[in-house]
Amino acid sequence: MQTLNYPQVQETLYREVLDNGLEVIVLPKEGFNKTYATFSTKYGSIDNHFAAREAAPIKVPDGIAHFLEHKMFEEPEGDIFAKFASQGASANAYTTFDRTVYLFSATEQIDANLETLINFVQNPYFTDENVNKEKGIIEQEINMYKDNADWQVYFGLIDSLYHNHPVHIDIAGTVDSIYRIDKETLYKCYETFYHPSNMVLFVVGGVNAEEVFKLVRNNQSAKSFEPLGEINRYFDEEPASVKLPRKVVKLPVSLPKVMIGFKEKNVGLQGEDLLRQEVTTKLMLETIIGPSSRLYQQLYEEGLISDSFGHEYNSSTGYAFSVIGGDTPDPDALLSALRNAMEKLLQEGIPQETFERAKRKKIGGYLRMLNSPEAIAGEYTRYRFRDSDMFDVLSSYEGCTLADVDSRMREHIDFNQLSVSIVESPTA
Amino acid sequence: MNDEVRDSASLTKGAGLVSQFERGSLQRIRLHVLPTKRFKTFAISLFAGVPLQEDTVTETALIPFVLRRGTAQTPETIQFREKLDDLYGAGFGFDVYKRGDSQIIQFRMDVINDKFVSSDTSLLAESLKFVGEVLTDPCLENGSFRQKYVEAEKVTLKKRLEAIVNDKMRYAAERCLEEMCEDEPYRLSALGKLDEIPAITPQSLYNQYEQWLGSASFDLYVVGDTTLDEVTQLVSQVFRIKSGEPSHYQTSARRPSPKKVKTIIEEMEIGQGKLNMGLRVGVNYSDDEYAAALMYNGILGGYPHSKLFINVREKESLAYYAASRFDGHKGLCTIQSGIEIANYNKAVEIIEKQLESMKQGQLSELELSQTKAMISNHLRELQDSAYEMIAYDFNGVLSGNKRSAAQLIEQVQAVQAEDIVRIAQGVQLDTIYFLRDRKEA
Repeated sequence: MQTLNYPQVQETLYREVLDNGLEVIVLPKEGFNKTYATFSTKYGSIDNHFAAREAAPIKVPDGIAHFLEHKMFEEPEGDIFAKFASQGASANAYTTFDRTVYLFSATEQIDANLETLINFVQNPYFTDENVNKEKGIIEQEINMYKDNADWQVYFGLIDSLYHNHPVHIDIAGTVDSIYRIDKETLYKCYETFYHPSNMVLFVVGGVNAEEVFKLVRNNQSAKSFEPLGEINRYFDEEPASVKLPRKVVKLPVSLPKVMIGFKEKNVGLQGEDLLRQEVTTKLMLETIIGPSSRLYQQLYEEGLISDSFGHEYNSSTGYAFSVIGGDTPDPDALLSALRNAMEKLLQEGIPQETFERAKRKKIGGYLRMLNSPEAIAGEYTRYRFRDSDMFDVLSSYEGCTLADVDSRMREHIDFNQLSVSIVESPTA
Repeated sequence: MNDEVRDSASLTKGAGLVSQFERGSLQRIRLHVLPTKRFKTFAISLFAGVPLQEDTVTETALIPFVLRRGTAQTPETIQFREKLDDLYGAGFGFDVYKRGDSQIIQFRMDVINDKFVSSDTSLLAESLKFVGEVLTDPCLENGSFRQKYVEAEKVTLKKRLEAIVNDKMRYAAERCLEEMCEDEPYRLSALGKLDEIPAITPQSLYNQYEQWLGSASFDLYVVGDTTLDEVTQLVSQVFRIKSGEPSHYQTSARRPSPKKVKTIIEEMEIGQGKLNMGLRVGVNYSDDEYAAALMYNGILGGYPHSKLFINVREKESLAYYAASRFDGHKGLCTIQSGIEIANYNKAVEIIEKQLESMKQGQLSELELSQTKAMISNHLRELQDSAYEMIAYDFNGVLSGNKRSAAQLIEQVQAVQAEDIVRIAQGVQLDTIYFLRDRKEA
């Protein structure tokens, strides 16, 4: 068991990689009632073409990682939610582009709940009948998102940015693709991506680290797993250019929703480099269009944006893009105002004072995040799967200079790499 | 460590549940301070509540929008926001909502504890000063609010009200309550009424603000590494609140149930139907039966082991979500589900069957024990979040019934099947609201 001290944030982390490859991390939080645990696999919606154990590469239907997530909750003896409920735990799961996360939070019977979490995720039970039954439920989940304007404008943007990379495919797939899923393919995905060596268990809250490790070691040593080796993931070549400069979707909305994004030309970063790029880009975006920037105030006063206006940066080894936007009465006026202001910044550079302020804000936001067990577990695992350490984020912000942010802006804000996604009312 | 917390027998003396708010008051503000070293932040919440009323709801809703544009010290919005960034990106926000028949404005601020950064000023003192200025020392011109801010925020409020329709789940939920409570103040949106926005002037709004400052119930909460003495001292320096005593909340009057279920069907350009139902429970937060009502809702639709989830989703694959929510301040229970439009009758029938089965006492021991475990867990988890502790405590202030989380856990554990059946038999289905696609003309 490795002990990692982070004195600056007054946290201590315990870490161990078990013989079967499972990485276990425990972060005790003194005085907390709750224990929050996540059991995550590095497997998400983008992993739709892969090979392992010397088998031939296979392509699987879109949305299968999310489908698998739903189906894991069914066990021969019934629904696993009921078991968690009997043990006073609230359980859930979610699927992202590159991870599937199973979780519970509880204030008692922590040992039993941890065992339940590990055991149900390590015990797939798929039948033709239970797989078919799930299709109706997921169809309604997909239909719910079809009517959701925020989701549509977001996915409309990613779809415009990417030609081939599966990041542009909706995480849940389509009604058509999920009806092509069968239990054999589910097992194939399961056996590849749910091997302990592709997974991380994170436990945070009012726990004793040594007790958690003992429990997990005992649990895992009683099970055997066929060796996995390397997983090969295949992605079609993605051109540097965007697929579509502009995409419009019609849905009933009170005001048009617009999102713009810049697609990163150079991808392939990993580990610390990827983390540093993410931190620098987020800080850059905060500096130029955060709520206390001149630009934000100007757009707000012109009535072009509202409180819904925001930004984010989504990056991974295979893809990276920014997202900027919100509700606006006039998408084209907003776009040209944003473009003019950004071009001016590219000429004049970022003022030192604005940069320092944004940096303080980001550091404060990071420290506030550490109050939340959910955020810690989620973020730590996200960085872990990119071979980086969430606790390096603070020093990365601190080390970031105006010159870094300025050159990041010049690299990222490239109007040849821009897509625009709009959702507006059918009558507009 | 923390064995005592995991052991349900010693719940009430568990380490995390002994946290106590220290109480005080200063002029019209009640003060509630929870000293704790558990968080890396100071969490501040200021609640200001007035009766939800047709003639004041819109102007009251607009007040916080204008207050957050600038103070006398930082009159320009950009200075105001820069100030927050300088406080290590202090989180600042506000919310307007209704609880029971009160309209509540909440200002929130959270700022990191100075010990994690090299700050030369006390971030708690600066933050309380900031909240105090926002509330009591706004940016004025010619003795009323700055016209530019009032006009801009009128547009913002209008956009907010119009945007409710964008989120179909929320829209359907609000429409259902509006129909159900058409003769009560609760039908009003906490954000007010669209048609009253244009007539608001800086002067009319300022008059309303003055009146609001003099009449609202104010509760200020601070959770973090501080004390009541320190907070009282800081607040006395920076809040220009009017003198007087704190006001108390009025508990809302019960309404008789209608005899016939009201059914409303509305059309819109959507794909998935949104089915919402409103039920009168007849029990609210201040009643002794509150724990039994929580259990009723938990068994009906609060969790993935509940009747609605199992029967609407798992058995029939009709929906992705099918759940119920209990509003303890209003004594209402609402059901929501997203379904294929053609399945409307089937879904209503299945849901009504679940309501009936609870009246008939079809409750298993397992449902009872699972639901007790889930509610108790939720109440214990609250203690790990500063804002959740504040929200829970404020429920007690609002309803006039101070019941600690530990006491509520005890009450929930003591609920018997017959208590839940008694609640079920008092529950009346009031309104069925269905948002569906637009039929071809």
